[in-house]
Amino acid sequence: MSLARVELRLILRSRLAAAALALLFLLSALSIWSGLSAVDRQDATIARVTAEQARDLAAVAKEYGKPDGEAGYAAYYSFLLTHDRPSALAFLALGQRDVQPAVLRVRALSLQQQLYESETLNAEQALPGVFDFAFVAIYLAPLVVIALTHDLVTGEREGGRLRLLLSMPGTGLWRRRIGLRYLLVALSLLTPAAVALVATGAPAMLGLGIVVVISVYLAFWFGLSVLIASRVRASATAAAGSVGCWIVLTLLLPTLANAAIARAVPVSKGIDLTLAQREIVHHGWDIPKPATFDRFLATHPEWRGHESFKGRFHWKWLFAMHQVGDEAVAAQVAAYRASLLDRESWTVRLGWLLPNVAAQGVLHRLADTDLVAQLDYQDSIGAFHKELRSFFYPYLFLDRPFTRADFGLLPSYHARSGTASWPAIPMLLLLIVTGLILAASAVQIRGISRDDSR
Amino acid sequence: MMTNDAGTPLPIDVREVRHSYGEREVLCGLDLSVAPGEIYALLGGNGAGKSTTLSALLGFIVPSSGSVRVGGIDPAADPAKARAQLAYVPESVALYDQLSARENLDYFLALARAHRSPDTIIAPALEAVGLPQHAWNQRVGGFSKGMRQKVAIALALARHVPVLLLDEPTSGLDPRATLEFNRLIETARDRQVAILMVTHDLLSAVDVADRIGFLADGRIEEELAAGTGSVRFDLNALHARYTGTRVAA
Repeated sequence: MSLARVELRLILRSRLAAAALALLFLLSALSIWSGLSAVDRQDATIARVTAEQARDLAAVAKEYGKPDGEAGYAAYYSFLLTHDRPSALAFLALGQRDVQPAVLRVRALSLQQQLYESETLNAEQALPGVFDFAFVAIYLAPLVVIALTHDLVTGEREGGRLRLLLSMPGTGLWRRRIGLRYLLVALSLLTPAAVALVATGAPAMLGLGIVVVISVYLAFWFGLSVLIASRVRASATAAAGSVGCWIVLTLLLPTLANAAIARAVPVSKGIDLTLAQREIVHHGWDIPKPATFDRFLATHPEWRGHESFKGRFHWKWLFAMHQVGDEAVAAQVAAYRASLLDRESWTVRLGWLLPNVAAQGVLHRLADTDLVAQLDYQDSIGAFHKELRSFFYPYLFLDRPFTRADFGLLPSYHARSGTASWPAIPMLLLLIVTGLILAASAVQIRGISRDDSR
Repeated sequence: MMTNDAGTPLPIDVREVRHSYGEREVLCGLDLSVAPGEIYALLGGNGAGKSTTLSALLGFIVPSSGSVRVGGIDPAADPAKARAQLAYVPESVALYDQLSARENLDYFLALARAHRSPDTIIAPALEAVGLPQHAWNQRVGGFSKGMRQKVAIALALARHVPVLLLDEPTSGLDPRATLEFNRLIETARDRQVAILMVTHDLLSAVDVADRIGFLADGRIEEELAAGTGSVRFDLNALHARYTGTRVAA
């Protein structure tokens, strides 16, 4: 019988180890199912809204698409669909997709008042968080690692077998035991993910990235847990020490760091931009029309000479008010985005010290579900909205009729292509931290083989 | 390094060894040697340095000075090679309770890289130590200390090594089991194994040892060889010597 086979039998005959591995496999499979369900729901929502959108637009076209139809009505009532389909790996790491909209219907009015509507709709969803594979891998898998390694050395000492084991001439006992445990944890965690990656036809390189980052992250926890387990004399002390490290690294320090970053880099809410923009638009009703048009024409000189109209109201005045409203908060919008990115960059720096933060960041980047992805979607909405305005302005400022046929000329939203990538620096730093901790634990383990009389 | 008449190194050869734990010197110039086919009983009180002597032979500690050799190999310099020469039976034989006697043997033999043909090694070894055949495939969790001891000795026999280190081997055994154990190690002696037995058990030492050494203050204070007649050792004198109630000669 091979040594590995007996070692495997020893592990699997331990109730704690077998239960921990089975639980990890189950949680991993459940999280994959949960992630796939969430992604399916978003896809279904996009499909449903797309169908509704077509019906809604047809109704608007029927109502306002007349030979002498007013473009203002068409622009005001035509909501056009934008959507952000989940990436191929989103089911593994949902990231911000639970609180950020997957669909947004926009019209040619102010962009800023439409972009952040989800902040009032989805806030509650942020409270419980998401149960996805990234959560299981980053937060729960280390506990299984601890369960399997905390008594690696102390268990033998407490069981009275350590001196007998160490008296054997063979080498590589600890390496083999740690390696086997690592393999079992990695298989329990990654098998459901690998099956799902193959079944969903995810891009191989990105899928490989997920496997690599999880493998390195697990290696970090094995190194840390073995380091602690080989420095103390009692299993209970080793377990307490490792769980203490888990609490500090995954809960305490990230929370404190998050609070510090939030304090150092204040970010206003997106909804504040909506309110600011609406204030300016509403103020437009109370000021002379030339004041609004002057500001509008400063950025759209091509419509100079077409701004005047008879009567109290014209659609071009309303849309100019909205355009001016967006432009008035442009600096605030830029500052808002800059502060979001600033926070993100601090979080990446935090990952230099905290492997769990680094691994989570890498997973979300690979899955294209992080802040970068969110802003990319907003950018694509912004580009589409600009196109929409450019489409309607000739009708509005040249008083061209908007017929039913013109509805067929409305621009269509082209979904963003995705920004998933391998973040090299966080990955490299994760590798370095893991390498250091593994080296330290290897030195410690070698010391045990030398002298068990401590 | 001491050699025997054939010029080969002694299985166990300890010369002028000193070792300290912090300020406390535990071995203070220990000299000890065991020849092939010899049973050496090392007696001594608590803290006399018995376990440290075994640790030095196992390569667990590096002595401050002096020389330790197992079959001519320095365990501190090349522990794996030295350990390949010896089998060690700890005081409290703890095996893997989840595995059967056969599986335990199989596993430890594999660890010792002595695993050539398990069926031809394990069964004869278990048979030789007298472990009932029905117990071979039972998990050792339910074994008595004597049965565990037998598995450990079977392991030592199965490895066919020239040196056997026994740490308090009869501690906790009943008289019958002790007697059985003594017969077992005599079997090993017959195979020309050099046996160092660290023990508190004077009766057992008298029963099987070829030499008895009294360890005190980190050195052999007195060494006695077994007589050739029917009385191997003077038990009363040994007892008095051991308990510190030396009687006048």
